[in-house]
Amino acid sequence: MSEKGNIPIDALVVYRRKQTHPDLRSFSWQTRRVDVTRTNLVHTEREGETLYLVYSVSAGKDHFHLRLDTRLGRWTLEEIEVGN
Amino acid sequence: MSRLIVHLDMDSYFASVEQQAQPSLRGRPIGVTGRPTERSIITAFSREAKRYGFHAGTPVWEAQKRCPDLVLVPGHPERYIDTTKRFLEILKEYTAQLEVYSIDEVFMDVTQEAERHGGAVAMAREIQRRFGEALGPCITTTLGIASGKVFAKLIGKRFKPNGVGVLRDEDLPELLRRTPIGDICGIGPRIEKRLGQLGIRTLRDLGETPELLLRREFGVYGLFLHSIGRGCDPTPLVPYTDVPPPKSVGHSKSLPPELRDMPVALLVLHDLCEQVAGRMRKLGYVGRTVHCGFRAGSIGPHAAKQITLAVPSDDGDVIYEACQAILAAIPSHPSEVSNVAVSVGNLVERDRLPDLLFEEDRRRDRLNGAVDCIRTRYGAQAIRRGSSLLVKPLAPHVGGFLPETWEF
Repeated sequence: MSEKGNIPIDALVVYRRKQTHPDLRSFSWQTRRVDVTRTNLVHTEREGETLYLVYSVSAGKDHFHLRLDTRLGRWTLEEIEVGN
Repeated sequence: MSRLIVHLDMDSYFASVEQQAQPSLRGRPIGVTGRPTERSIITAFSREAKRYGFHAGTPVWEAQKRCPDLVLVPGHPERYIDTTKRFLEILKEYTAQLEVYSIDEVFMDVTQEAERHGGAVAMAREIQRRFGEALGPCITTTLGIASGKVFAKLIGKRFKPNGVGVLRDEDLPELLRRTPIGDICGIGPRIEKRLGQLGIRTLRDLGETPELLLRREFGVYGLFLHSIGRGCDPTPLVPYTDVPPPKSVGHSKSLPPELRDMPVALLVLHDLCEQVAGRMRKLGYVGRTVHCGFRAGSIGPHAAKQITLAVPSDDGDVIYEACQAILAAIPSHPSEVSNVAVSVGNLVERDRLPDLLFEEDRRRDRLNGAVDCIRTRYGAQAIRRGSSLLVKPLAPHVGGFLPETWEF
């Protein structure tokens, strides 16, 4: 089952010296907290001068698509796929 | 010392990237498409779907009929372009002799560098390992190693997926004897048919045919064919640092059924003219020759003509006016159009032209500059022509490969 949205979230990330994008460790919204177990793919998208980093991550059997607006430093949760 | 060329081809590229991004698609037959409707085509299949014998360009209705479990996935061009940029960054660490052949294919001349990495095969395996670490386990690549581009591509194709193929000198005669000419990149169905009429079926037949005969039949291209038949590949590698300037800038669009009336198709054409003009301004070119065409009906003939402008231009309206003049000169106008195309050639660097003479032209130029600034800052959709709002946005072109997007 998949659900789409545009939910502002809090994110915990780690910046590494040799990496072009930060590692997303966990994120939370309302009362829910998700610990990321695997980063599947990170890609960039550009809208005008704004660069977005789009994360596809998994937490157990659930998969999430998140977006980081690098200009404003804001994270949003865009899609949740609940695994069986 | 003969050349050592590596051809790198990503396996089921768009589908693999989608499977990497969406774990729920892994292990399932998927087809990547621009618009998941019955009338569109599938751009890329996953390796699970390829077992059904599908190839890129299969219509959705046919694929779904043959494989009811096929999952249709809308394409994400940004994902593919970004992934390509990332693997190119890795490859640049190995050699500067790197030719970007397409979004998922690269040629590398590693004649000088291979030894440093323990030989070409060890280097290829190292590249596969690094791709796995950087891009993810679903995105795999196959590498072919030979003394020329054509043979490297040919040998790699036989080791797909996730393989490394090497063509050794001692294996060449057997390869020439067994390889049908149609397997060679650069020999299409029409050339294959003409060669077949001369009794040429394999590469060895090609090599045994007198050079003079091939030259008479195919001109300079006959020399290339003869060389390939003898196991020599003269094709030069064009490094990304030496990419020649564009000869033309163009766009075409296949229209969904609801946009196939001529007046609506003209709105799409106007939009394409704006896009072409915008790219020309970004690249710093103006063009003199406008080429415009359309396809009548869904499988009708393609009608096209070109016109030469009195003054080279990079203005979308000027290009569109030229297209209108071209269309007016085409005798019969169909009521339904399935594809529109525009390109501008005969390019000149804008800086080489004198300043615009008339105030009206200077005003248009300032307007175009302002529009470009707004689009650069806020995105391509931030400012649009009013008439283009009458047409709902078209699906993005899934294969998106524009040389200027690499920005090395």
